[in-house]
Amino acid sequence: MAKSTALQSGARARLRTLSVLVAAVALALTACTGAGQQAPAPSGAPTAGATSAAPAPAPEETRTLVIGATAEPQTLDPTATDAAAGPQALLYNVYETLVRLDAAGDLKPLLAQAWDVTPDRLTYTFRLNPAAQFSDGTPVDAEAVAKNIERIQTGTTAPKLKNQMEVVVGTEVVDATTLDVTLSRPSVTWLFDMAGAAGIVMNPEGFDAAGSETAGSGPLTLDRWTPGDSIALKRNDAYWGTPARFDEVTFRYFKDPNAMNASMLSGQLDIISNLQAPETIDQFSDEGRFTIIEGSTEGEVTMAINNGAAPEGVPAGTGNPALQDVRVRKAITMAIDRRALLDTVWHGKGTLIGSMSVPTDPYYEDLADLHPYDPEEAKRLLAEAGHENLTLRLRPPTLPYATKAAQFIASQLGAVGITVQVEELQFPRQWIDTAMTNADYDLTIVSHVEPRDVATYANPAYYWRYDNPAVQEAVRKAGEGTIEEYTTEMRNAARIIAEDAASVWLFALPNLVVTKEGVTGVAENANSSLSFDVTTIAKA
Amino acid sequence: MFRQLLGRLGIFLLSLVAASFAIFVITQALPGDVAAVILGHGATPEQLAAKRAELGTDRPFLVQYLEWVTAMLGGDFGRSWFSHLPVTTLMAPRLGVTGSLVSGGLLLAVLIALPLGAVAALRRRQWPGLLTSATAQVGMAIPAFWAGIILVFVFGVLLRWLPPNGYVPLGRDPGRWASHLVLPVVTLGVIQAAVLVRYVRSAFLEVLAEDYYRTARSIGWTKWRALSRHGIRNASLSLVTVLGLQLASVIVGAIVIERVFVLPGLGSLLLDAVATNDLVVVRGITMVLVFAVLLINAAVDISYVLIDPRLRAREAS
Amino acid sequence: MKRAELWVGLALVTAVVAMALVSFVWTPFDATAVGSGPRLQSPGLPHVLGTDHMGIDIFSRILVGARSALYVGIIAVGIAALVGVPLGILAAWLPRWGAEAMMRATDVAYAFPALLLAILLAAVFGASTETAMVAIGIATIPAFIRVTRAGALSVLASDYVLAARAAGTPAPAIAVRHVLPNVAHLIGVQASVSFAMAILAEAALSYLGLGTPPTVPSWGRMLGDAQTYLFGHPTQALWPGLAIAAAVLGFNLVGDGLRDFLDPKLREVA
Repeated sequence: MAKSTALQSGARARLRTLSVLVAAVALALTACTGAGQQAPAPSGAPTAGATSAAPAPAPEETRTLVIGATAEPQTLDPTATDAAAGPQALLYNVYETLVRLDAAGDLKPLLAQAWDVTPDRLTYTFRLNPAAQFSDGTPVDAEAVAKNIERIQTGTTAPKLKNQMEVVVGTEVVDATTLDVTLSRPSVTWLFDMAGAAGIVMNPEGFDAAGSETAGSGPLTLDRWTPGDSIALKRNDAYWGTPARFDEVTFRYFKDPNAMNASMLSGQLDIISNLQAPETIDQFSDEGRFTIIEGSTEGEVTMAINNGAAPEGVPAGTGNPALQDVRVRKAITMAIDRRALLDTVWHGKGTLIGSMSVPTDPYYEDLADLHPYDPEEAKRLLAEAGHENLTLRLRPPTLPYATKAAQFIASQLGAVGITVQVEELQFPRQWIDTAMTNADYDLTIVSHVEPRDVATYANPAYYWRYDNPAVQEAVRKAGEGTIEEYTTEMRNAARIIAEDAASVWLFALPNLVVTKEGVTGVAENANSSLSFDVTTIAKA
Repeated sequence: MFRQLLGRLGIFLLSLVAASFAIFVITQALPGDVAAVILGHGATPEQLAAKRAELGTDRPFLVQYLEWVTAMLGGDFGRSWFSHLPVTTLMAPRLGVTGSLVSGGLLLAVLIALPLGAVAALRRRQWPGLLTSATAQVGMAIPAFWAGIILVFVFGVLLRWLPPNGYVPLGRDPGRWASHLVLPVVTLGVIQAAVLVRYVRSAFLEVLAEDYYRTARSIGWTKWRALSRHGIRNASLSLVTVLGLQLASVIVGAIVIERVFVLPGLGSLLLDAVATNDLVVVRGITMVLVFAVLLINAAVDISYVLIDPRLRAREAS
Repeated sequence: MKRAELWVGLALVTAVVAMALVSFVWTPFDATAVGSGPRLQSPGLPHVLGTDHMGIDIFSRILVGARSALYVGIIAVGIAALVGVPLGILAAWLPRWGAEAMMRATDVAYAFPALLLAILLAAVFGASTETAMVAIGIATIPAFIRVTRAGALSVLASDYVLAARAAGTPAPAIAVRHVLPNVAHLIGVQASVSFAMAILAEAALSYLGLGTPPTVPSWGRMLGDAQTYLFGHPTQALWPGLAIAAAVLGFNLVGDGLRDFLDPKLREVA
């Protein structure tokens, strides 16, 4: 997997790091995506005149949709950074990809009507929809797609996307609607990545101005961008597929979850894309006015344990040597009542997990009870390891959920005789520098929202400082194998790190969406495309 | 008098230099290497050197300062470290937001504080005056953001009379612009008025102690007549000074209010830049805010010289 | 009336100090242990003011929070007074041009209000209680310089100081023996008012996420946290808000009351 090699170059590492963190700030606001639950998806293989459930709007009435979101894009080019905010607003709405991810996490045609893979899994042939055109009327042809793949590889695009596209060795334009893409090695993940920001097909005319203008082929186009406030999209009247149901779709950005709630309660918003303060969910309990959707995200709130590996080329780290003893790590895991923690920190919403994997992963295995809450056993393990008087530094970033969880964990570890010193690190800079870069911590807490991030345990330089050849081997095999091998090996890796208590996986973040009465079609789960797909949404 | 005006101008310019230097020193004091902060860990020495050269942080401190100032004089506040957009581009659309909020808040504060301050001074021993003073004391003790949140709760959420937050530019829809500004302006204005009432009261009290007021009263003028004849004009001098001083606190108050009401103004931009450690942006906005305060203070100073005959006479002597 | 102001102020300040002192020896519940009660409870028994989102007793937290409020105030005002008072006396002593330059410098400093300076310092050094206190302290220095200088000027012109100078008493001795005692009341008034301002500024910074970390019980932080629950549990935001308002009101009233009490000229007018 590209992920395990992500730390090779400095700049890349920095941006990779940030992606986890930016997402952590937004706390898995990432997105809800895919085809809707209630409304039929119009874009399976959209052709002009495809049937749609959208009620025909009255001609004089402006149909608007206002979505409250947390993280605001710094640029309108979703490929320029790996922040979740760009794809959230623009992917599938303004920009389209060859293939898309639906709500179930399956690949569906979008710009490509169909695709074939050679038996050696090295060459993909995409057949583009001949109707597809950019908002200025130019057709989306094979040439344009090839230029976009090249741009991701060589342009000023996010290192994360470059890593995803690294496996591509060549493209060949067969004819206007047929494109061959050749990979250097078989990859299970590449086509999934192509359904996200890496696969965006932008009008090549718009490459230069991508940061401040959009040049997509989707059902919406940019109306105006007000930094610090909102991004307003308007209907693309020349859309080649099923037209948008809304004349205007606005993403409004809120730093303060309370302000977002106030806006929703006052009726200004139609949707809260992901509730940032789950304890406030009761405010929306009026079923006549609001609907609450509880789904899942790819995010794991993890308490990192400094496992103490010190590979060459990275700072040595300052982890307490006691943490290299698996008994101590198990004791820490067993000393924490994660159910009670979830109730306190995230209002009981979310799922308890036992490894770096969420229930929507194809390789998921429920390991939540592998090391159950048992303070007596924890004390026994600590005594056996000879660490009855352990003092650990818990250094959470200054993020609300992390500091709350830290308070809780400090209290519980104290009960089994571990003295915990809580020292907050200013987020992002101080935390990245101290915890992530220099591994100068014993314990820390952050939410990891990248998909398939179990692979980070195969990188001893990652801030877990976890060095286990068995995991590295499994992750390597997974990346190059077939779908079946991938699933087996990833499950294997997730199980090994769980048995090793390499970290404490506190819970999987839920996707909590609030909609106004009458809004339907919002996807339940957030998936790795990061898109908040409005094409499936309808409003009565 | 011309000489005094020149002197004031000189002081203003010197103040600007001192303030800009202070801001520069503070923002350069970032522990560690800026290039390393931007690039993150694992950056090669070559990459770091290239970044330092790009940022100019490899040059002597004074040279960097002078370059920053020179560029600002030409309207160039640098580019954001992370979004790479010019700071002026980031600030431009937000000036109107902060401007509307600050001027609205200040205006409202004056409209409330003038009559209440007069009442507090003239009826200082009776219940209207006592009540006014007491209310002002309580008002000063309330955190502005708390007041704002409560207003949002009552008028935005419970009653739904006004939008709880957000902003619409004046040019797009004047009606919605106004409705979105009501709650923030009221919050800012009322809290500032509480402070201002006290100054207005003491300004009037000073007038009441002056000879001309006593004379007017002794020849049978009513309090109100004596005060409106002599008082307002004389009190307004000290009020102008107070307003100048207050402006700084109104601008800073606006930073918090913008966060409460999700207004895309300079304050929000500043706080966002602080959150991402984008010091170029932080530096630029701080400079603009401090410039505004110093400019107003200079204007107050100059108007003082122009208005007050006593001061003019004293300076001339 | 003016006496009443002073007494009310003193009563409030005493209450805050008493809360802080009591919290060292007794709180009804542990103010930091998570889950000392069910979460988000309304006022009642045994939690008189209810519990917060972590199940911590709010009354206990308010008591301990008084310490933070006083701590912030004492350090910030301490910094301001320690730097501002000597500079103020110096400014009174300096020849005219020197004093002029110094007062102009304080004018420039006035353009950096406490909150702006705190935001600036937080951007560079990271947010913490310490950064906030230092910023508030520095921003308050000019006020102390002005007040001290004004008082010191009149003391320096008095007969006994002139006599002492004529007798060859060294300047530092005059400053300590004659000037300081005679401006102490002015400094006391300023300290009281600045104390109130420091508490307000800390609350605003905590709301912005640039102040006290959550593990330390602080009124500003409690208020910031509580606003999340405002719509469902309004009393959560009520108690820390009242505590802040009471403390600020108390210190402001003491400041005003002291000023009027000590300054006969003003008393006559009022």
